[in-house]
Amino acid sequence: MMLALDIRNLHKKYTDFQIRDVSFQLEKGYIMGFIGANGAGKTTTIKSILNMIRIDSGEVYVFGKNMAEHETEVKQQIGCAFGDIDFYTRSRIKTVTDITKKFYKNWNEETYSDCLRRFKLDENKKIAELSTGMKVKYSLALALSHGAKLLILDEPTSGLDPVSRDDLLDLFQELIVDGEISILFSTHITSDLEKCADFITFIDNGQIVASAEKNEFMESYRLVSGSEAHLNEVKERLISYKVNSFGFTGLIRTEDFDPSSKLNASMPSLEEIMIYFAKKEGLYV
Amino acid sequence: MYNLVMKDLKLGVNPWFFALPLLAGALMLIPAWVYVLVPLYFCFITVPNMLGGFKSQNDLMFSTLMPTSKRDIVKARIFVIVLLEVLHLLAGMVFSLFTLHLYPNIDYLFFAPHAGFWGICWVMLGIFNIILLPIYYKTAYKYGGAVTFSTIAAALFAIVAQGAAMGIPWVNDIFYGAGLDRVGLQFSILAVGILIFVGLTLIAYRISVRRFLNVEII
Repeated sequence: MMLALDIRNLHKKYTDFQIRDVSFQLEKGYIMGFIGANGAGKTTTIKSILNMIRIDSGEVYVFGKNMAEHETEVKQQIGCAFGDIDFYTRSRIKTVTDITKKFYKNWNEETYSDCLRRFKLDENKKIAELSTGMKVKYSLALALSHGAKLLILDEPTSGLDPVSRDDLLDLFQELIVDGEISILFSTHITSDLEKCADFITFIDNGQIVASAEKNEFMESYRLVSGSEAHLNEVKERLISYKVNSFGFTGLIRTEDFDPSSKLNASMPSLEEIMIYFAKKEGLYV
Repeated sequence: MYNLVMKDLKLGVNPWFFALPLLAGALMLIPAWVYVLVPLYFCFITVPNMLGGFKSQNDLMFSTLMPTSKRDIVKARIFVIVLLEVLHLLAGMVFSLFTLHLYPNIDYLFFAPHAGFWGICWVMLGIFNIILLPIYYKTAYKYGGAVTFSTIAAALFAIVAQGAAMGIPWVNDIFYGAGLDRVGLQFSILAVGILIFVGLTLIAYRISVRRFLNVEII
């Protein structure tokens, strides 16, 4: 098994926030969804991977190479798309591409032309004239043309309409078909991942809660509901819960759930898992 | 490093700033002017505008995402700054040949643009660099303080040099008196000035790299 990305024990402490012992692995040829609430540490982790922030400790390996030691070489294989970051927006696509391609050893002009056609990108347009979705596609066009094998996408679908999002998700799935390209895809729009991710890594309050195959991850939790009388029976074992006029609804680890109890149980969505984990922190504040 | 320099030349720095050395240099043609202002225009105009452009265009993020090292990002940027400084000084020096030729019998209150004067200008920009770059590379995007302090330092040096040339007899002799005819002395001052510029800029580069390695790209 070849690992596209291997992150080991990342620590980074700020005055008011820290990521602790972040470790996860992405196998070559798969899409990993990286989820967490705003401020949970997704972007900090991604910037640590790309050596943009100085980590206090930990190691990042991309295709087996240590990022800190081989940064320039490793970056030749990485393509990035950040949903909310713009540079040189007043310049034409053509100008930015002409500059960008010089940095890459494996730039393929033919692939680039194909991508422009396929994504309907007009080279004479200025970056600022592109819609959010088109900007992501332009980043992808650059990444694919330089032969990137690992795509790191930070919130690429945030701010997109449902049609454009679906279009991008189809594209991501197409890209990994031949098993060469791997995608790490951070988002808080969890429904996107239900459609296209193979693995889920969930970060909460700077720590990895779980990193597993998507269905395995979702099956490891149960969403339970019952009357208020039942609540006291399971309260201790719930990750968190909400009380409403009919009783309560809460999230529990499957291993902590007793199937013979009278509670209603169902498999939670990724969104529900995220929400109940976020609520858990609220309980202790 | 080469690609980063080309990126700055084609994308990051407005072509106007490559024309400005000629325009500023042409100010040398004003008879008996305060010629030290000519290279100082680089500090007043080019540097804040250029660094502001990099900041607003998110250049730091762009450069970091490319397969480059942080050391090369600093090296390329300083190379571009030095290139513009050299253009400013060379343009001024070429124009000063015309100045000296056009107005041979003029009385200079401030420095006359002989080789020794240009030596002082090289030192002045060296001082500018050693203050500007290390402060700038604490963040690699905030430039207000860096530009203010470095420009004040460069201007103060120019004022002190001018004061010394006016008030200290043996210095006065070099820049206003018999020293002007000693070609060897004049060119030695120029050569020493260039060496000091190179030395100060190299030190500025080393400090800048060390600081930039600690910068977090946010």
